[in-house]
Amino acid sequence: MAEKAGFDPQVFKKAVEEKTNARLKMWLEICAHCGLCADTCHFYLAADGDPKLIPAVKGKKVLEAFKKKDKIDEKWMEDFYWTVYGECTMCRRCTMFCPFGIDIATITSTGRGLCVSQGKVPKNLVKTIESYYEHGNQMEITEEDWVDTLQWMEEELQEELPGATIPIDKKGANVLYTVNAREPKFYPMDISQAAMVFYLAGEDWTMSTKGWDDTNLAMFAGDLKAAGYVSQLVRDAAEELEVKRVAITE
Amino acid sequence: MTLFAEYLREGRLKLDKSVFADERCTYQDPCNVSRNGGCGRDAREIIKYLCEDFKEMEPHGDYNFCCGGGGGAIPMAGAFRERRIRSGKVKAEQIRATGASICITPCHNCYDQIRDLNKEYELGIKVLSFKEMFEEALIVPEELKAKDEDEE
Repeated sequence: MAEKAGFDPQVFKKAVEEKTNARLKMWLEICAHCGLCADTCHFYLAADGDPKLIPAVKGKKVLEAFKKKDKIDEKWMEDFYWTVYGECTMCRRCTMFCPFGIDIATITSTGRGLCVSQGKVPKNLVKTIESYYEHGNQMEITEEDWVDTLQWMEEELQEELPGATIPIDKKGANVLYTVNAREPKFYPMDISQAAMVFYLAGEDWTMSTKGWDDTNLAMFAGDLKAAGYVSQLVRDAAEELEVKRVAITE
Repeated sequence: MTLFAEYLREGRLKLDKSVFADERCTYQDPCNVSRNGGCGRDAREIIKYLCEDFKEMEPHGDYNFCCGGGGGAIPMAGAFRERRIRSGKVKAEQIRATGASICITPCHNCYDQIRDLNKEYELGIKVLSFKEMFEEALIVPEELKAKDEDEE
């Protein structure tokens, strides 16, 4: 699913048809353009009120994709790409102020899905998706490196707390602790700090060799098939280990 | 975070509040933890055990502003970085207005974004996760500590 040049109108039309649903249509048609969402958006405020950054205006581009699905071209797509990936973080603040509760985050996410149909996805997000499929995490960390990191952090921790451990694949534990893959990659101390907390609290916990990355950048990319796969990895680990709860980092 | 709040409430963890007594703390609600995840209250509960001087950003909780690093914006990097930093201006000004020296956040996207904002907007703050603060403030029972070899 690498970034590719060109625009395929047939594929686009098909993607639009697949993503059309009653809820989305209702949201897009009910918007009264009242403008209450404008100054709820940090993009709009930070740009001193640039009207292009009003959430309703950004959402309208998705409506345009649905209405003009036969007339979309590469140039339109380029502008659309920057809007859905670069001008909305899907934070849902605007929805809190919308009289109709229109969910711009879901609309943006749908827009990102349309970009996915054209392979037009920020290349660093594409890399993470490939990594989820290959290594089960976004940071290309192999199982060997992961287990090494856990053992290293356990040794570090034991210098202060000799009785503390980082259990791996412990069946039936109360808590399965999952992390953001940025932690083993850039902030490994996060793991020993969490282990310290669990040890002092007397928690029966474990980490897993598989399904341990609780991030889902596939979801943010708009690739829902991959997003489902990523979530399933954690669920499978929880079921395999028969844990009672899954905890995500902080 | 919900677990941390539980441990503190049940008395399973004890924190030494004096550790951060000289620092003013504020809290960045991550959109997907507070507004979309409903855990804003857990954070405030933890903060009661951890901080003497706590100042909320305005607005906060369910009405917080996104830090600008959400929705995959951090890993997108490249040409998206400039937009991310620019859109973080709102958050930077919110933090500055609290006069805080520590900004706590439990989310790695917020964490990395606010560290960038700290540099770009010269906020002069420390960005910390709860775990980092716990490491400093947790009261460890004597019998669990490593013993000095000389004493053995």
